[in-house]
Amino acid sequence: MARVLTNCGYLALGLFCLSAMGAVPEYELVLKDHLFYPSKLEIPANMKVRLIVHNQDDTPEEFDSFDLNREKVIFPQRKATVYIGPLQPGVYHFFGEYNPNSARGQVIVKEPGDAD
Amino acid sequence: MRREVIVMLVLLTTKAAADGFVVDKVYHPIVLPNEQRVEWRFMSRQNDERNVLAQRIGYGHSLSETLTLEAYVVGERDQEDNFGLQAYELESRWMITEQGRYWADWGMVFELEKQHKQDSWEVTSGLVMEKEFGRSSLTLNWFMIYEWGKDIHDEVENEFRLQYRYRWMPQVQPSIEIYTGEDFVGIGPALMGIQRFDGQKQLKWELGFISEVGGVTKDHTLRFALEYEF
Repeated sequence: MARVLTNCGYLALGLFCLSAMGAVPEYELVLKDHLFYPSKLEIPANMKVRLIVHNQDDTPEEFDSFDLNREKVIFPQRKATVYIGPLQPGVYHFFGEYNPNSARGQVIVKEPGDAD
Repeated sequence: MRREVIVMLVLLTTKAAADGFVVDKVYHPIVLPNEQRVEWRFMSRQNDERNVLAQRIGYGHSLSETLTLEAYVVGERDQEDNFGLQAYELESRWMITEQGRYWADWGMVFELEKQHKQDSWEVTSGLVMEKEFGRSSLTLNWFMIYEWGKDIHDEVENEFRLQYRYRWMPQVQPSIEIYTGEDFVGIGPALMGIQRFDGQKQLKWELGFISEVGGVTKDHTLRFALEYEF
């Protein structure tokens, strides 16, 4: 068992070293008056993206999404980065944990070239 | 970063040995700032000879966006069936990588424990990894434990924990858990869930039933944890 664990450890270490990332597409969200702009954000399927969330309010907010499996606190008048994906096509809901009734939005994941 | 790699190498190549409660909790790498929590863990281990009961109550506070510190008092039922204070523990969790940024999310856990009224100490360092596969998450923990003191035999132990979880809905997330260490290999089903309230307030719960699979005698552990974050 110790040998298996050791091998698992080497594998994990290798994956850790290999997990350097390349450039990823960037998208922006603005939080103002406890509302997300845009409230619907389209991103490509099967691709990791970087979501920059600007909190223009004077209170902190937590970007929260069970669908996206992400939680991130954004301090007042600051911005934060949330990495999401790669995702399958679909609609993924997110909300601001401190203002869940107003701060709500959707990430709409589409295959490239798939327009409404 | 070089120092962390060296720590990981030491952690991952240390020979296993050990004693105590192997089934406990699978740690996740994420840390959130501005967070306080109180936690109660319950573990009941039943084998052919006796039942061992352990409970721990803790209070934790985030120190930064990536670091959190938690203090515990641990109670256990002794050989005479008396339940009493057993140990004190300090635990720190460090989120090394941003959630979702790399192939997997990485963190570390550090613990310092002292047995009540005994010169018996234990220091633990653990590597935590979590990888998403769609709506499923694989979480791995590797722990290296060093015990020392006049009332305990000095030794190094090694433990491994695995959780494969399906994120079905926030309140109900079924999983399979595996624990190894000190000649124990256990596997069993578990459930975890989160109920959110106002603001950062949320109640997390975990329930698992782990059976030893390496031996011929009965050895089951029921574990339960409640964590209130605010």
